[in-house]
Amino acid sequence: MKQEGFERLHAAEWDVFEAWLDYRALPKRQRDARHAPFPSQELPQRYRHLCQQLALARDREYGLSLVERLHALAQRGHDHLYGLQGGVGRKVWRYVTGGFARDVRAHRGWVLASFLLLFGPQLLMMLAVHLKPDLAHLVLDPQQLAHYEQMYSSDAQHLGRVARDASTDFNMFGFYIFNNVSIAFRCFAGGISAGLLTVFALVSNGLHFGVVEMRLIQAGLGENFHSFVIGHSGFELGAIILSGAAGLRLGFTLLAPGQLGRGVALAHAAHELIGMVCGLAVMLVIAALIEAFWSPLRLAFPIKIGVGGVLILVPLMYFLLAGRRHGS
Amino acid sequence: MLDTLRHVTTPELIELQLRPAGLLPRGLAWCIDFVIRAALLIALGTFLSNLGRAGSGLWLLGYFLIDWFYPVFFEVWRGGATPGKKTLGLIVVHDNGTPVGWSASLARNLLRTADLLPFAYGCGIVSMLLHREFRRIGDIVAGTLVVYREKPVLRAHPAHEAVLTPHMPLDRATQRALLAFAERAPALTPARQEELAALLPHLARAPSGPQGAARLLGLANHVAGRQA
Repeated sequence: MKQEGFERLHAAEWDVFEAWLDYRALPKRQRDARHAPFPSQELPQRYRHLCQQLALARDREYGLSLVERLHALAQRGHDHLYGLQGGVGRKVWRYVTGGFARDVRAHRGWVLASFLLLFGPQLLMMLAVHLKPDLAHLVLDPQQLAHYEQMYSSDAQHLGRVARDASTDFNMFGFYIFNNVSIAFRCFAGGISAGLLTVFALVSNGLHFGVVEMRLIQAGLGENFHSFVIGHSGFELGAIILSGAAGLRLGFTLLAPGQLGRGVALAHAAHELIGMVCGLAVMLVIAALIEAFWSPLRLAFPIKIGVGGVLILVPLMYFLLAGRRHGS
Repeated sequence: MLDTLRHVTTPELIELQLRPAGLLPRGLAWCIDFVIRAALLIALGTFLSNLGRAGSGLWLLGYFLIDWFYPVFFEVWRGGATPGKKTLGLIVVHDNGTPVGWSASLARNLLRTADLLPFAYGCGIVSMLLHREFRRIGDIVAGTLVVYREKPVLRAHPAHEAVLTPHMPLDRATQRALLAFAERAPALTPARQEELAALLPHLARAPSGPQGAARLLGLANHVAGRQA
């Protein structure tokens, strides 16, 4: 078939397709005012026809301008067909009600490793500082230590804050989100350095916690400190451990990609991990809410411990029990 | 291979062509986005400064969202391009050519922190310069590409009156060469045009009609689908 005949045969079809693409590109309000050139459910079929015509045009060495036009149309149709982000709400709901817990359980080895990398150094440091208090200065200088002691001193109006910067709860909420979620994201992304940055982040945080906790206990402020941290520690430390687990997995994939190419293996791993990273970001938002609005309250120690215990159990039970029924 | 064109076969068994964008256009796009983000943050700061200390918490929240999710928002909801990329005609796609989705967009923007190291996008720049498709670390991990998405325009070359039909079928490489020649001809001296035309004696010479560059331009008109 000559190019001219081919064009005559299909030109109307191409014009309608192009009109439909232009119609879809309009803002929603203008779209409602007009009629669609053809109903959306016809897109796949019309797109496949176009693809076939493009292939024919290329095979028969038709003119370049025609091939380029069909290529452009096919490209736009392709983007429409494969770019649809359907059912986001339902996907999120299913992830929250079980997918997240399943993901975490599927990575339990990494979660355990991350857990040990955080709490191992913490316990070691607590022991070390307990035996030899001066070891604290390896991690923190005296000024910082004094700052912490002031934060949890018994005459502080709000726990966990220095009296002189009278920050509001809301101010602290913004700060906690900004600070903690950024740290967790970096802990995950740092995994690309073969896990080194992730390990460093976990261990240094563990050492830091260990020193602060032991020094505050030694200064007799342990009760204040624990009553502040216990409320949000379940969500916050849980999320840090998960971000560490995701980072370690990413780093391990870089080192040992298995049977795939390194780039492809990394893309697969990232695709599997990204849901978990979103989940832990939400955990940190919850932690920030608790830390900003509940933890600083000065209530009786047993109440704080009781509520704190429940708040630690909630994420634990979720990860252990949620999403079992659908199985995978 | 010097050509950076990447061919992607779709499930419909046709080939789409993606042209990855290099360091400079992407750097420029980043600069434009940086200015927009800075402007947003300053505007937000001026507005929230009326609210006192709660305002500064809100500002940090805004800073956090803009810092991490500004590109994600545009890539997923605004056709794969932040305003900066749009200005330069760039777009983010999966490496199979499909528009970028949630997980890939999040991954490539979270991994930005790795590209930022040790300072000023050091790792990202090295990775982009070494990769044949100019991917930074985040692009490799997310499986995405930044490609040019300009509207294919067959540039109107100055219409040459003659439209000549070739004596033999022209393959696509020849057609492409003819069109490229016709597009560039106005920028070349007549002597250079003839010099180039002499490289294709079997096309540029004919028993009758115009000869040399003029004949090639006439053939190009035919290839471009002009009617006599």
